[in-house]
Amino acid sequence: MTNVELPQCGSVNRRIGFLINPIAGIGGRVGLKGSDGVVDLALARGATPTAGKRAAAMLRAFRAGLRDHPLRPDCCWITCAGAMGEAVLLDAGFEKIEVVYRPTGTSDASDTRRAVRAFLSAGVDLVVFCGGDGTARDVCAETGRATPILGVPAGVKMYSGVFGVSPARTAEILLGYLDGRFELADADLLDVDEEAFRAGRLEVELYDSARTPHEPRLVQSAKQVIEDQDAGSAKAQIAEHIAEQFEARPETLFLLGPGSTVASIADRNGFAKSLLGVDAVVAGRLVGVDLRESELLELTDTHPDAQLIVSPIGAQGFVLGRGNQQLSATVVRRIGRTGVVVVATPAKLDQTPVIRFDTGDPALDAELAGDGFFPVVTGYHARRLVEVRV
Amino acid sequence: MSEPTLFEKSAAGRCAIALPELDVPGSALPDELLRDDLALPELSQLDLVRHYQRLSERSFGVDSGFYPLGSCTMKYNPRIGEALARLPGFTDAHPLQSIESVQGPLEIMFRLQSWLAEIGGFARVSLQPAAGAQGEFTALLMMRAWQRDRGEGHRTQILIPDSAHGTNPASTSMAGLSVLEIPSDSRGNISLDALRAACDETVVGLMITNPNTLGLFEQQIEEVIELVHRCGGLVYGDGANMNALAGVLRPGDLGIDLMHYNLHKTFSTPHGGGGPGSGPLAVSDELRDYLPAPVVERVVDEEHGDVETRYRLESPSKSIGRMCSFHGNFGMIVRAYAYIALHGIAGLRENSMHAVLNANYLRVMLRDNYPVPFDRTNMHEFVCRGDVGSEGVSATDVCKRLIDYGFHPPTSHFPLVVPHALMIEPTETESLETLDGFVAAMLEIEREARDAPEHLRAAPHTAPVKRLDEVRAARQPILRSRVQS
Repeated sequence: MTNVELPQCGSVNRRIGFLINPIAGIGGRVGLKGSDGVVDLALARGATPTAGKRAAAMLRAFRAGLRDHPLRPDCCWITCAGAMGEAVLLDAGFEKIEVVYRPTGTSDASDTRRAVRAFLSAGVDLVVFCGGDGTARDVCAETGRATPILGVPAGVKMYSGVFGVSPARTAEILLGYLDGRFELADADLLDVDEEAFRAGRLEVELYDSARTPHEPRLVQSAKQVIEDQDAGSAKAQIAEHIAEQFEARPETLFLLGPGSTVASIADRNGFAKSLLGVDAVVAGRLVGVDLRESELLELTDTHPDAQLIVSPIGAQGFVLGRGNQQLSATVVRRIGRTGVVVVATPAKLDQTPVIRFDTGDPALDAELAGDGFFPVVTGYHARRLVEVRV
Repeated sequence: MSEPTLFEKSAAGRCAIALPELDVPGSALPDELLRDDLALPELSQLDLVRHYQRLSERSFGVDSGFYPLGSCTMKYNPRIGEALARLPGFTDAHPLQSIESVQGPLEIMFRLQSWLAEIGGFARVSLQPAAGAQGEFTALLMMRAWQRDRGEGHRTQILIPDSAHGTNPASTSMAGLSVLEIPSDSRGNISLDALRAACDETVVGLMITNPNTLGLFEQQIEEVIELVHRCGGLVYGDGANMNALAGVLRPGDLGIDLMHYNLHKTFSTPHGGGGPGSGPLAVSDELRDYLPAPVVERVVDEEHGDVETRYRLESPSKSIGRMCSFHGNFGMIVRAYAYIALHGIAGLRENSMHAVLNANYLRVMLRDNYPVPFDRTNMHEFVCRGDVGSEGVSATDVCKRLIDYGFHPPTSHFPLVVPHALMIEPTETESLETLDGFVAAMLEIEREARDAPEHLRAAPHTAPVKRLDEVRAARQPILRSRVQS
């Protein structure tokens, strides 16, 4: 016997990072609206962990799908020891497993991040995780947009666009990813401030943007933001529409808000935009990146003709006041209602029945609401009137 | 079982027809035209006949079964229309013949123009548009021309309700105008509040389908028209759903300024294979001079009174020009003429009433199993949801399973305002027995959706081609078949 450890996985197979957040969703059934910082309380209220069962359901469906698949795709699992992955994979009958992370003591958010870091250094094509919005954020904090992620829905809230509608549907997406049917799409990562949520306020924020394999029928539709098949084309149309404005108005200051729809406008015009920041463009040229409120005010001082291009947070519909607070009431007042250009793909609007303005200045919010409807640019020379909820 | 192509069935040396011996001196083809690698199939006549017979048996049309494809009005095409359209006087006529020698075809066109104007309550009609969408496009060009003449060429917005036909935004873009989509209210009507917010001096007009694609009559249509007119806009009616209204209500009387008809829907000209369509455009007196050129006019001879009635082609004074090289799809014009002559206005009215009755019958029979989001008396079609039974069952699954039961699937996933929409239009020509057969199949499918969703998801089971991977078909289309050498 030598000490050489033979690798479990050959290089021909896709390498899937797999992790379960064992405490995900634990607060849900006991009325805690989440699990951040309340695990002990949840256990005291009699909660039992469910994430492992959701993961097992996904893996069973996936295994059945692999068995029946004409192309016999295969993968190997890069995972964590015990309840965070390995035990459930073994139970489901999988053999090609490499354990690259061993948690110590009780699991918390830092375990998720350390595990994903270990996956990345071992090399993975995709990270599959079982959890909720919080887990998604932790995973994405490590992967960024470089490695795609896919969530098995097991948290209390799944507002982000990276989850299948059910464990079984997540398995279908995974199969579609392995056999090359589903391409990667952009998805917004959203999360709710759980403290505020427990106090009865819904404050959803856009945190990040991830890449995820996508098939429109299988992803969660309620409170969910993800691209449909035509999203690329819809975004390209929106970008074309705005590019025409850049050309027609060389003197105008264009402020570009956060999110992937607005970022596609920057792509079309050949400059890189900060994904979560507010950038400024004059005559098709970038003149400011990730600007603070004071910088925005300086720019509007020198450029009285200004347009603000923003996209609502999917499902919740906030155009201003969530994830873009640098666009303060003072900034927006200088631009005025006619200068605010809201853009969104038709697919996003289908899941976003109303839009909202929350600048912190009720008079300005009412002014923006106008007579209760706001035109949203949905394509090249195409707009949709969308109800504004005050 | 898939049918191989003729190339795959080819066997060297076979021949379908034995050519007679040459009875003239032979002559060799020039060398530069000769090829050695001409891979033509070689088959017997029987092989050929069976090949095409098999393919024809796999076709599905109104003549083979119930075809409730919403918004398409797949009704029976009376054979008399076919007989008349095949008369040599029509088939042998050429549009470049002298006017004197084509008085018969011109008379048919003139009468159809007049009848369509009368049925819709309009002043004048052009038969030129070769399809509904071309009728829309023609109308938009006329609306712009009319507004330019009034010094209002700066207007650019076309308002379109979210329950409109999908071609409306496309026609708008073709005409170089911008679309502003107006949401529906909770009853499925266009939202008056939103419309009010949208009506301003940028508006060219509103394109409205009534009944809309939910199969619902716009209950505030008069107020809608009034709002648009008040801001200087025109109202265009998409006549694709006229099978609910012909003989019952005249859109022109409501104040609609322009409307196209689909002869291939309401007036029963065949269109199962995708055409040819025919989309005549009817307009109000205000717009009559802008119609495409030419239109057919009757000339009353001054000396002999109307004894010597003749027909000629005329260009309206402010015409936007030609929309096609000659006179539209003439064969469809003859069939539609025959259809109206056959039924008369009373017959058209009766057909509309039966179309509405049949659609309401199906809605009521199905609504307990297939939720109807806007559950009120509908017109000639209705929309229910197809995501029934178990989680993950989609409208597509229901549609594919219907094929196994011998029915053409309804329109699905449209209109977009209803998720998993199934848009069902039975038409007036179907019997109670057929409708009941369809209901029975739909209820059985809903039971399967509960008990055996996997069976549904794999449907169709009896078709020559099983469930297609539509995502892959769109992403990785194979657009040509190569001969295996």
